[in-house]
Amino acid sequence: MNAMDPTEVFRQEASELFEVLEGALLDLGQRPDDRELVDSAFRALHTIKGSGAMFGFDKVASFTHEFETAFDRVRKGEIRPTQELISVALAAKDYIRALIEDPQSTDDIIGEAILDDLRRFVSADQPAAPVAAIAEAPPLAPVESKQAGWHLYLEFESHILRNGSNPLDLLEDLCKLGPCFVVPVTDGIPFLDEMEPEDCYLKWDVKLHAACDKDAIDDVFMFVQDEMKLTLSPLAQVEAPVPAPLFLLLDEEQAPVAEMAAPVVEVAAAQVTEQPAGKAEPKPEAKSETKTETKTEAKREERGIATVRVQAERLDELMDRVGELVIAQARLSQLAASGSDLSIKMIAEEIERLASSLRDTTMGARMVPIGSLFGRFRRLVHDLSRDLSKPVEFVTSGEDTELDKTMIECLADPLVHLIRNAIDHGIEDTATRAANGKTEQGRIELAAVHSGAQVLVTVKDNGGGLNTARIRAKAEEQGLIAAGAVLTDHEIHQFLFHPGFSTAQTISALSGRGVGMDVVKRTIENMRGSIDLSTRPGQGTTVTLRLPLTLAIIEGLLIRVGEGRYIIPLSAVEECVELTAEDERSRGRNFLNVRGNLVPFLRLRELLTASGSPDKHQKTIIISTGETRVGLVADQIIGNHQTVIKSLSKLHSDVTIFSGATILGDGTAALILDVAQLVTLAQSKVEKQHLSEAA
Amino acid sequence: MSSDVTEPKWSLRLPADCSIAAIRGVYDLIREAFGRQERLEIDCSSVDRADVTSIQLLLSTAKTGEAQGRPVVLTSFSQSLRNTLRRAGFASEAMIDQHFPQKKDGT
Repeated sequence: MNAMDPTEVFRQEASELFEVLEGALLDLGQRPDDRELVDSAFRALHTIKGSGAMFGFDKVASFTHEFETAFDRVRKGEIRPTQELISVALAAKDYIRALIEDPQSTDDIIGEAILDDLRRFVSADQPAAPVAAIAEAPPLAPVESKQAGWHLYLEFESHILRNGSNPLDLLEDLCKLGPCFVVPVTDGIPFLDEMEPEDCYLKWDVKLHAACDKDAIDDVFMFVQDEMKLTLSPLAQVEAPVPAPLFLLLDEEQAPVAEMAAPVVEVAAAQVTEQPAGKAEPKPEAKSETKTETKTEAKREERGIATVRVQAERLDELMDRVGELVIAQARLSQLAASGSDLSIKMIAEEIERLASSLRDTTMGARMVPIGSLFGRFRRLVHDLSRDLSKPVEFVTSGEDTELDKTMIECLADPLVHLIRNAIDHGIEDTATRAANGKTEQGRIELAAVHSGAQVLVTVKDNGGGLNTARIRAKAEEQGLIAAGAVLTDHEIHQFLFHPGFSTAQTISALSGRGVGMDVVKRTIENMRGSIDLSTRPGQGTTVTLRLPLTLAIIEGLLIRVGEGRYIIPLSAVEECVELTAEDERSRGRNFLNVRGNLVPFLRLRELLTASGSPDKHQKTIIISTGETRVGLVADQIIGNHQTVIKSLSKLHSDVTIFSGATILGDGTAALILDVAQLVTLAQSKVEKQHLSEAA
Repeated sequence: MSSDVTEPKWSLRLPADCSIAAIRGVYDLIREAFGRQERLEIDCSSVDRADVTSIQLLLSTAKTGEAQGRPVVLTSFSQSLRNTLRRAGFASEAMIDQHFPQKKDGT
């Protein structure tokens, strides 16, 4: 077992916090009055600061502190989070991220410039009262009763110190609201042998002599409210002359401690010794309502065991092991089937069932909601929208749709390309949109949805749509087609996926070099997925990515063509039918009549140049991608097969109709057919047939 | 970690960093010293980073020593440790004395 480096743990946690922070800031741009978003951003900042300091990232801690201080006026509702302020805040977030992930790439001058911008924004809208006065003045909103202050009992969750929170800072903040009696409660301190030194055992009993609003106290604990038990009750009256406040003592460290704090100590010591465990529960004299603002213990425990962080490479390793197990199990099943020992057969079946269940569980553990990926693009759209001066509304749906983590990682770059293209080429500028009677703000929709054993990811814009004539002209200009050649719109649009093809008249930093769509297509196809374009002139374009749920193990249909055996991904299989004599007679046209619908078919024997004579009763497997159906004619359908996907060697990289290989139970290999490629092949045959008939 | 356990004086000098980042090491050090000696004297003069965990560890050490009848004495609190104690509410010498068995310099 290799323990994770604590610094690495911090980096990972910080990465999650950055996502929260970025999401909150971007949402704040849309909903500037949402207090929960401000609080959420602040909590993330605060945790980054605290953890940064704890793990020795001093620069992170000090920069974040400055950021927090500047942004504090937003939290207090003194200034509105404008788009400009959000942009600077996002830049500050990026800078902190760089400080953590790649400190060498950062420059103090940039950090200072960002902080200057932040300060400028937050001071530009400054109200009449000076900041210092605001900070010092406790929120003196009228309170419900005429109490003279508050009695608080603070009990933190044991892990709070590990999170970077510091109860002493909170006590200090509390003391800023007014004079405080702070009494540490030490009864929870364990013996050395029972102690976890990083856990929090101390509790505090505090009497705050200030008629401040309860919200002001809530504000002090807002970042840790889910991780503590705060019992709050009003003090009916001042019980004794108000003592020297603790926060003043803290400011005067040079003064003799005993002399200054004597009144506090006497009261405090008496209380500590008099009260047993639970002593700080609200006293009877505090007769107003008592409110316990906590989550229940049960909920805390539940949260504690809800998730566990696992290194990604361990999951990969586990998946590899499961793959090997599935192959070994297939061999065992084959061996058992060829013998007559009933007990071996029973064990083989049992192991098959267990292996199948283990495979599903392992694959489930690798599944990640696609929302974790979608979140990244909000920033992309925000920045592009600003840079291109094209207001764009970004809408996502299906964030809960789960995909294998490897797929998620592979999908990021293609989606960046598609979204960039959609904004740069798809969405028109505001003047054009207005002239066409469209809303000034463009719209990009990013959606994910399950469709059988596939996930469909769509990027849809409401821009001008593809200009088919211009694509065609460009293709002719580049010599990709002869002038006047007869092509369908679908075929013309496919040129967009040709390397180096671009119709953009100018090259920008974003797009126009013709690099991208071919890479997108290749990446998606490498994932055994497919990409589809649909467009309506003047109304926009939709790009649909069809992706398998996983890249590791699939359910396949094992078939035989001649002497060779092949796998068709079961997710693509619609049905299996026998090739009738009538279908055979239609040789040359290669169309199958399936309940009145004509379906083109490919003879795999011809495609794969199989030797020997074909079986008498040929079978057709109807496969589909999207709305296109194609029949594949094989000699025999052997049955379902759990297929552990192995990559093909570089020597086979040019063979497009295979997406990989697998090892069968008898140790031989079977090639996996690439459904998308086969459908494209069939489609082009059909279209050529149509065109030649038309000619 | 600049600490040492010197048998003749039975004294353990705490390292400069007694914050949460280093508290596990300090904890191990104290437990080790506890295992070796009947009585323990802990020199707190070098501590310049302290927090809640440092306070808790000293409280636990004192409590354990008392329960086992093995005297634990804390000596020479650094200013940094005192500041942390005060921030945590141990706001006077009397209160510190009450919770932490101290041997004052020269006594």
